[in-house]
Amino acid sequence: MKIKSLLIANRGEIAIRIIKTARKMGIRSYVIKTAKEPNAWYLEEADEVIDFSGKYDEVIPEFLDIERIIKSAKKHKVDAIHPGYGFLAENPDFARRCEEEKIIFVGPSSDAIYRMGHKTIAKELARKHGVPLLGGSPGAVRDAEEARKIANEIGYPVILKAAAGGGGRGMRVVNREKDIERMFTLATNEAAKAFNNPDVFLERFVREPRHIEFQILADQHGNVVHLGERECSVQRKHQKLLEESPSPALDKALRKKMGDAAVNIARSVNYYSAGTVEFLLDTDNSFSFMEMNTRIQVEHPVTEMVTGIDLIEQMILIAEGEKLPFAQKDIKLKGWAIEWRINAEDVQSGFSPSLGTIEKISWPEHENIRVDTGVRDGSVITPYFDSMIAKLIVYGDTREKALQLSSQAIRKFWITGTKTTLAFCRAVLQNSNFRKGNFNTSFLSKELKLHYHNEPDEALLAAFFATYDYAREINENEEKPLHTENGKSITPWVLKKRLR
Amino acid sequence: MAREAKKKKSSKLIALSSTNKAYEFKNPLEKRIKYQGKVVDIKLHEDPKGFSYIVWKNKKYLLDVIEKKQNRYTIMINGVWHSFSVETPVSLKRRRYLEQQVDASAAVSIEAPMPGKIIDIMVEEGGEVKEGDPIVILEAMKMQNEISSHITGIVKSISVKKNESVMKDDVLIEIQRS
Repeated sequence: MKIKSLLIANRGEIAIRIIKTARKMGIRSYVIKTAKEPNAWYLEEADEVIDFSGKYDEVIPEFLDIERIIKSAKKHKVDAIHPGYGFLAENPDFARRCEEEKIIFVGPSSDAIYRMGHKTIAKELARKHGVPLLGGSPGAVRDAEEARKIANEIGYPVILKAAAGGGGRGMRVVNREKDIERMFTLATNEAAKAFNNPDVFLERFVREPRHIEFQILADQHGNVVHLGERECSVQRKHQKLLEESPSPALDKALRKKMGDAAVNIARSVNYYSAGTVEFLLDTDNSFSFMEMNTRIQVEHPVTEMVTGIDLIEQMILIAEGEKLPFAQKDIKLKGWAIEWRINAEDVQSGFSPSLGTIEKISWPEHENIRVDTGVRDGSVITPYFDSMIAKLIVYGDTREKALQLSSQAIRKFWITGTKTTLAFCRAVLQNSNFRKGNFNTSFLSKELKLHYHNEPDEALLAAFFATYDYAREINENEEKPLHTENGKSITPWVLKKRLR
Repeated sequence: MAREAKKKKSSKLIALSSTNKAYEFKNPLEKRIKYQGKVVDIKLHEDPKGFSYIVWKNKKYLLDVIEKKQNRYTIMINGVWHSFSVETPVSLKRRRYLEQQVDASAAVSIEAPMPGKIIDIMVEEGGEVKEGDPIVILEAMKMQNEISSHITGIVKSISVKKNESVMKDDVLIEIQRS
């Protein structure tokens, strides 16, 4: 069935990204307006806005309210729902409700989501299909005492992971026996909070692996292909900070081996739609299956850049029941793409969230630069949603060229009003091991000593401007009364802009 | 006469960084500074979009005033922030003197690094804490963050309760250095 209308149960950059493809395909897009950001940009990009801002439910946030979303979809007679990433994207109940109500879910079947989302079932499937795994608890760990027992058997370090998890939340590495009780409590609390399910399991922790994931596309007729890998090793506390495709660590043979394993995982649940199979790659090139993400990923653009395939378009076509228009042999990886995540975070204070208003944002236009963002001048960064404000995706014929263009693009990516991770991106680009492609998941903690980079004279320039502004204000105040706003003095710099 | 004297007095300013590095400028309003023995011009610009930037040695540096309270500034240059207090020669002297008088054994407060909710408090008043010990669990942006002590000492007071929301820089606990 051709999809003519699509409700996007998401916000921010991914809502806008999906709208773009919907528009290209002649599909009418619907989005949800919340009271938390009633002036967000994605609302303007969509064809229709469904207003959820009237009723504010503290218990169930808007984008997690399955019944309300289903009801709205039916009321507006939309053909399909795209969940984006996060929120309900990997909630099997949501997909199942769509199936029951005959709304096309632009994603896999609820059964595939359930089985891949349930880590112990997923692992069992992987084992059956001959895909290598790490050692660990067979299922959810009952209590701290059991965690201690298993950890002592397989040896430290171990990692505690939310059974229903993803995106790095509810994960804790435990290095010593004396920490296990505290870490178990932290992990279960976080899991309960984030996923409404306190279950955690435990597995051996590979100290310095690479995080490699494979993009899968599969249709409803049994055709499965992989679109190569994404290198996601640069992480902080299991949160990805940048991704690239291909990975500097893979050659053709290893890519085929891991790609085949990824395809096998997808086949094991009769998977259809876009999906991602995550592996840990050890220094000896042995790899283990971690999990399958049954959704579109934040970092999907790097795969789109090197394959030339619009993944959202393929998801929609697959949901309509179309066959994949290509076979594995048609998939060619060309060039190199890197995605830099720009988060509203203060990298000089442990990446703590930096709230506020984006005064201005601008970036260089270039045929090899793509920016996916949900913010523009005046957008407010709220504490309700994650801190990502933009993704800068840079393409080059080679990795070296992609890195070169990245340096230029990052220098010219200007944002005022909030602290961002751009300073971190600069630090990464300065690092010689990163430039050589020689890094793993311990890159941040071991290799990158300073998480931001500043050029020699920047502190001097900042110091100069502080004194300049101060002197100017003293000069002005001799004639005029002090300008104040909410009892706080405001800068003439800002005032000048406002008066204009 | 009086005004002339005031102007003269305020022409030399010092930006004192958070790491106690002093940057001295003879007369900042002249936009001309001494750099490696030479006098160099600093150009301040605003582009058509309204971005403010400094041109220094033919390179553009994005400028953003993140925070400004009286003489305390946080200035971001190319995405990296720098904190200063702007001092006159007299105020700097006074400040340095006062700093010497501060009792080294005074209580140190641990502040919330970000806004969030207190999930758990792991210390008790009168209890001992070591550097690096977790003191509270703060939930922010859906993550549970361990806030740890950067000093060793005795917990003097706890200013927050479980499940309480805190703002950035709110004092969480006070520790008496030991």
